[in-house]
Amino acid sequence: MSKMPTEPIKKERPESTEKAGKSGLALDKFITFAAVIVLFTFFSITARNFFTMRSILSLALQTSTITLMGIGVTFVIITGGIDLSIGSVVAFSGTVAVIAARAGLPIWLSMLIGLSVGVVTGLLNGLMITRLKLPPFIATLGTMMVVRGIALTITNANAWPAPQNFGKLGNGTIFGLGPQFPGIPYPVLIMIAVAIIFGFILSRTRLGRYTYAIGSNQEAARLSGIKVNQVKMINYVFCGLLSALVGIILASRMATSQPNSATGYEMNAIASAVIGGTSLMGGVGTVGGTVIGSFIIGILTVGLTMAGANYFMQQIVIGLVVIGAVTVDQLRSRK
Amino acid sequence: MEVKSASPTQEIILEVENVSKSFPGVKALDNVSFNLRRGEVHALVGENGAGKSTLMKILSGVYQPDEGVIRYKGKPVTFSNVTQAREAGIAIIYQELNLIPHLSVAANIFIGREPLTRFGTLDEKKMNADAVAMLARLNVSLDPTIKLNQLPVSKQQMVEIAKAISFDSEVLIMDEPTSALTESEINELFRIIHTLRDHGVAIIYISHRLDELKHIVDRISILRDGRSISTDDYAAISMGEIVNRMVGRKLENKFPPKQNVPTTEKILEVRHITRAGILHDISFDLYRGEILGIAGLMGAGRSELGRAIFGADPIDGGEVIMNGHKFTLRSPADAIKAGIAYLSENRKEEGLAVKMTLAENVTMANVLEICRRFGVLSRSQEIEVTQRYVKSLNIRTPSLTQIVNNLSGGNQQKVVVAKWLFCDSKILIFDEPTRGIDVGTKYAIYELIGVLAREGRGVIMISSDLPEILGLTDRVLVLHEGRLAATLTTAQTTQEEILNYAAGVA
Repeated sequence: MSKMPTEPIKKERPESTEKAGKSGLALDKFITFAAVIVLFTFFSITARNFFTMRSILSLALQTSTITLMGIGVTFVIITGGIDLSIGSVVAFSGTVAVIAARAGLPIWLSMLIGLSVGVVTGLLNGLMITRLKLPPFIATLGTMMVVRGIALTITNANAWPAPQNFGKLGNGTIFGLGPQFPGIPYPVLIMIAVAIIFGFILSRTRLGRYTYAIGSNQEAARLSGIKVNQVKMINYVFCGLLSALVGIILASRMATSQPNSATGYEMNAIASAVIGGTSLMGGVGTVGGTVIGSFIIGILTVGLTMAGANYFMQQIVIGLVVIGAVTVDQLRSRK
Repeated sequence: MEVKSASPTQEIILEVENVSKSFPGVKALDNVSFNLRRGEVHALVGENGAGKSTLMKILSGVYQPDEGVIRYKGKPVTFSNVTQAREAGIAIIYQELNLIPHLSVAANIFIGREPLTRFGTLDEKKMNADAVAMLARLNVSLDPTIKLNQLPVSKQQMVEIAKAISFDSEVLIMDEPTSALTESEINELFRIIHTLRDHGVAIIYISHRLDELKHIVDRISILRDGRSISTDDYAAISMGEIVNRMVGRKLENKFPPKQNVPTTEKILEVRHITRAGILHDISFDLYRGEILGIAGLMGAGRSELGRAIFGADPIDGGEVIMNGHKFTLRSPADAIKAGIAYLSENRKEEGLAVKMTLAENVTMANVLEICRRFGVLSRSQEIEVTQRYVKSLNIRTPSLTQIVNNLSGGNQQKVVVAKWLFCDSKILIFDEPTRGIDVGTKYAIYELIGVLAREGRGVIMISSDLPEILGLTDRVLVLHEGRLAATLTTAQTTQEEILNYAAGVA
């Protein structure tokens, strides 16, 4: 560019008082993170045995499933979509992996087949949304029902035991030091690795940038040469893949195929993304936020259980937290 | 068109006295005074940021003034919300219409106060009859049962006006009412404004199109930087003086001196572009260093032609040739790779990701350029690139990570330009580049377009503003109903000639 004249540009005054949308984000994250600490401290005092290494590890193990699913669905939500099928994909992929193992295939191969189930359902969701132009809510609602139905049909709704060694992934640990420190469970390690990798993809790569661009303004993204359909497809595949990963971990932990498992998990995953600051309108959200969001739900669940509150009570509390978190968000952005 | 009402009464219906309003960091209105007479059309002009919108929002109850008094029919009033202002008889029609697309004309007019039958159900019959009566007051006939989204914008606007007067409004504020209308629709709107005025309604008319004021305005008030500069009888002030007062300095020329010299080297050849029912077999050439205007009436296919060349809409036939290579443009991605850029007329809807930062928008169409291996972004490189364009295009922003939504219209336009410069685009298609942009910033954008052409790019400028076409371009393509009606040399043509071709009467 040659030099542009500087003279004719007038001082500009904003006529409205719209606040910067992103400036508060660092603070928001701090607040949600502080909430985790407060909750943690609260249960450490009120619930005996909450603040022990054993229960902390068990908390991380329990939370890993919803975190993994939450990360996947965060990608999809940022593009402005939604994936309701992930709970069913968990059940289906686990079931397929167990069936494959029972048929005599090696464990690793069975698990790989289980994972590919997630890739396929993700592709199908993506195709319906980008090619047939179905609203994501409808497309994935359909997939949710179809996939659950298939899982129930092929197993006759029965839980089948998996062969030995299938349980290693879900139950094994690493760095164990006897009873004081039982070791870090594999699923927790997987969760950490996935959070780092997918956090990196979202914040530091072209794909991540395109994901935000599409959610922020799909038409502007298309007219900027971004292959919108391709990016969306990849996001739905990520989401399916991570759900299938959860399916395999759960099947391995229980060492059975459970076609009825993970019902309603999609809602917990979406809730953890939303608590973590992901906007259902698209364009906004982070992996870090979703991890924190899922741990808020995890701590509440485990803490309330240990404090003696029953399952129904937990549902009430988590529901209120979702409403509360989004209300706070709305109030802040309205100012 | 030049019918002026003989004498608007001298009765002052609305008076603003020393009103100030601050927002965090800005004093949007500073001691503004202004009055409105019954039965007059009063233009309110000023650049973006002059405080027009804030003043209108105070009059219509959206904001409350920090200081000062508003007198309505002689009595001081404070409106704490829009409903109060509307019930008192002050209604506002925004540029973006506030109507519900899936409801009928009648339902829109009476929304929130639908007539009911004895049984508490909607009295559709009465509602439709009342709607017809209301529209008749404007001399408009329209089927009250038709859904809003099946009407053109001009008719929707009439529904909005009918809705406003159905509250027995005595003051009607119109914000840029002609921005989406065609020539004949504008005349229709002016007729309605005259009708309203003759019935004693006072109208505040806000517009960036200064040239249209002469048809309807009785008095004119000018705002600048949040202050009221003057109020005059329209007949007593010249156009040049209006512009000078708006800008606060002498604006000798609306257009910068010509900077570019077109070459004879073809940079783009467009051949037989056809899109059923919209574009018919359009061919033309663009030369390196040339600014080529595309003129035509609304609906003639101007934007559609620009979008077709860019691959934004599917076409039924045709191709473009660049550097001897033929392209069939299937997607914007193809066009961008070939070096073509399209700057949409709807910046916010199609040009920018408004929730994202300035830097992210600048690099959006060429993220690859700031990537290391495996598609990993280099933030430092992104900042460096953005810095360069912020400087060379003189983008006013507090920081490079400012959310684009918070920038002014002119600066947003520059962000879009920066995005395409970063792609090293050889051909830039500007679609209505100065729509909704104030006089001072317009000049800067004209200058920028001149510089782009001088640097050896080819510029296509689609515009409905004929003086802009005449002031800036080297040649003009005139479209009429999707066909190329004429290719004119700008220096040898006139506004009348272009209009004749555009209207299909030449």
